[in-house]
Amino acid sequence: GSEAAGGEQRELLIQRLRAAVHYTTGALAQDVAEDKGVLFSKQTVAAISEITFRQAENFARDLEMFARHAKRSTITSEDVKLLARRSNSLLKYITQKSDELASSNMEQKEKKKKKSSAAKGRKTEENETPVTESEDSNMA
Amino acid sequence: MDGRVGLRASRRAAPTPRVAVRSSPRQRARVREQEPVVSAMSGSGLGKENKAGSSTPLRHRPNAFSELDNATPRVMLRKIIQNQPQVSPLALQTVQLEETEDARPEPPSQRTSSTVELQLPDLVPEDASVTTFRMTRKRKKLSISEFERAADKRLPQNQAHSTLDSTLVRSLRMSVGSVMAPDTVEKRGLLRRPQNHKAIDIAAFEGGVEQNMLQIKAQDYLVDLQTSSMTGTTTIRTDAEVVLNNTELFVEPQLGEQNLLAVEPQLSDSKTSAQRSNTSYPAHEKARLEGLVSRVSTDERRTLRFSEKDLITDHEHVDGITQKTPAKEGEDEQDHSQQNDPMEQFSESEEMAGTTEHHADAEYSEHSEKKLSRKAVSQLTAAQDAGVEMEMTPSEGGVAEGTEHQDSPKAELQMAGSPGGHSPASYSLKKSGAKPLKEAVEQTGEIERGTITGVLDAAEEEATDDESDIEDHESEEISMKTPMFVHAAAYRPHPVLSPPHPVKSASPELPPQPVRAKPVPKSSGAAQRKTREPEIASSLIKQIFSHYVKTPVTRDAYKIVEKCSERYFKQISSDLEAYSQHAGRKTVEMADVELLMRRQGLVTDKMPLHVLVERHLPLEYRKLLIPIAVSGNKVIPCK
Repeated sequence: GSEAAGGEQRELLIQRLRAAVHYTTGALAQDVAEDKGVLFSKQTVAAISEITFRQAENFARDLEMFARHAKRSTITSEDVKLLARRSNSLLKYITQKSDELASSNMEQKEKKKKKSSAAKGRKTEENETPVTESEDSNMA
Repeated sequence: MDGRVGLRASRRAAPTPRVAVRSSPRQRARVREQEPVVSAMSGSGLGKENKAGSSTPLRHRPNAFSELDNATPRVMLRKIIQNQPQVSPLALQTVQLEETEDARPEPPSQRTSSTVELQLPDLVPEDASVTTFRMTRKRKKLSISEFERAADKRLPQNQAHSTLDSTLVRSLRMSVGSVMAPDTVEKRGLLRRPQNHKAIDIAAFEGGVEQNMLQIKAQDYLVDLQTSSMTGTTTIRTDAEVVLNNTELFVEPQLGEQNLLAVEPQLSDSKTSAQRSNTSYPAHEKARLEGLVSRVSTDERRTLRFSEKDLITDHEHVDGITQKTPAKEGEDEQDHSQQNDPMEQFSESEEMAGTTEHHADAEYSEHSEKKLSRKAVSQLTAAQDAGVEMEMTPSEGGVAEGTEHQDSPKAELQMAGSPGGHSPASYSLKKSGAKPLKEAVEQTGEIERGTITGVLDAAEEEATDDESDIEDHESEEISMKTPMFVHAAAYRPHPVLSPPHPVKSASPELPPQPVRAKPVPKSSGAAQRKTREPEIASSLIKQIFSHYVKTPVTRDAYKIVEKCSERYFKQISSDLEAYSQHAGRKTVEMADVELLMRRQGLVTDKMPLHVLVERHLPLEYRKLLIPIAVSGNKVIPCK
């Protein structure tokens, strides 16, 4: 019973996520349409969003596998880079971005640490999470 | 009933019982009940007897129970078999006579006893049916003999042999196994269709190849003439054009091999003489090269490929062929590089190879000429010469590219077997003298490499050459960019590549060809760090592939399968390396392999690895992978 309810909840959650992806895809498609002067049919947008959603599932599974393979319990940018190995250009891009982010993070950390150790310590923690999130968004 | 039966028997005594049955109106009323059966039976095949008789016993049995014991079907059948003659379905008089004769005595005898026995009349129809059956069974024998007789009668004129021989032969054939009835002689159902052996294609192909070789020989002559006449410039116009016109993929290696083979025996003599006249044969050479190129398809001498390619590239280069297959490009590059400086020339050739596709001939030839003249001095002519002379002496580069050396190196180079005779032209410029193609090719290739960079790997060399070439040549920008990119991409994960790689990079469509490493086997002493890429035995790939495909496969297909499998293995090995590195290890473990299989989709949540192991691997391997518990508290393999 609880599992069924959990499953239902999970199903609902999945549907909500799928809808969110679909909405974002539609928005992006509209931008592209305006930019290139072409039109996107609804089926196209739906297909793209479905593909994106399924591929995101694949990515999540692979990323978890990679993290577990490295005996870690957290997914890091290294896992993402390993995931993007298939496409050289994508890998280069991601590596570039991750380096930029890492360097900017380091700079921020150093600055903050220089200014004040105690107060800034908390802030650096906060900065880290958005950094990882942005990295994830890059991967997705 | 008896009367009726008696009538029927009497009627049946006639040769055509069917006719008798039908013709007697008196009997019709009585025989009506049997007619449908009779007619139905008679329609089955033989007109004489039918199975109507089989139904009659049933009818008559209830009427005459007393005689049932004596006239069981078995007894009747036995009587029939013993007594009834076999009648052939053929309308042969002899047979009919036999039938009638046999039939006649029977019915009278039966008739006499028909009054007594009820079943006797039934016997007749039964006999008929049984006879029918017997006839079908014995049909073969009678028909064969009859057939022989008939055949003899029919074909006396057709046979030159004596009738006796023919009959004997036919009888032999018949007895041996022709189950066909005479009327089926015309049918070919049992004959085997003529087998189409695939070897025929190969034979034709070989013949065509030989022709091509001859053509190449002629071309070589022409090339030699051209090269000799031109100083520092290779009149590869024709060759290059010919080669370029061939749009086949992977022509290079094939061409080179074949050319080498073909040229070798011929080159030594004709080269020098051929060099005199040149420009007049571009068209011819082109045509020949095209033909040659199109037909080459064997990987017999892969070692020669590289050299061949070099030769080809040079030639094509000069000719400024507008159309060039990627393979040709590589060849051109190589050839060109061979002719020119090792390093620079590589780039040049590659550039030129790339540009030949896109630029006019005139432009190209100019470029090539310029380059050739430029590099004439600094070129590895020595190397080439050394190669030509079977002595790997890189220091011999001192030999000028001038006409003086043109003859010998050129001859050698030509022999090296440019597919379209390109190599002769290209090499003729610089070298002179005749040498076995292989040696020349290999040596030139090696020498070039050695001279170019004793330091760089072959691959790196080529990569740098390519890249430098690309940068140098302005006109080749467009064409060279792709090679550079491909080159860079190809070289990044595989820093140690065999020499042929630059050729590959030049032609993006071509997958890497590890075979090219073969032409550069041993350095003559110069520091040559050419690591040969290990390859999977092509025979193994052929074996496995053909086993699963179950249909014949052409050689080209095998080549492509080889390339694909090589690509595949490269990819997965690099993946495995990345995975193990990801886990902070330096050794690839089973966990890495399982991760790879997961990525590939072979291992899922529903399909664990052990199940796959059980399904596909033999027991020996399975034992190693999956621990087995045996008696005595032992686990294999021990943990």
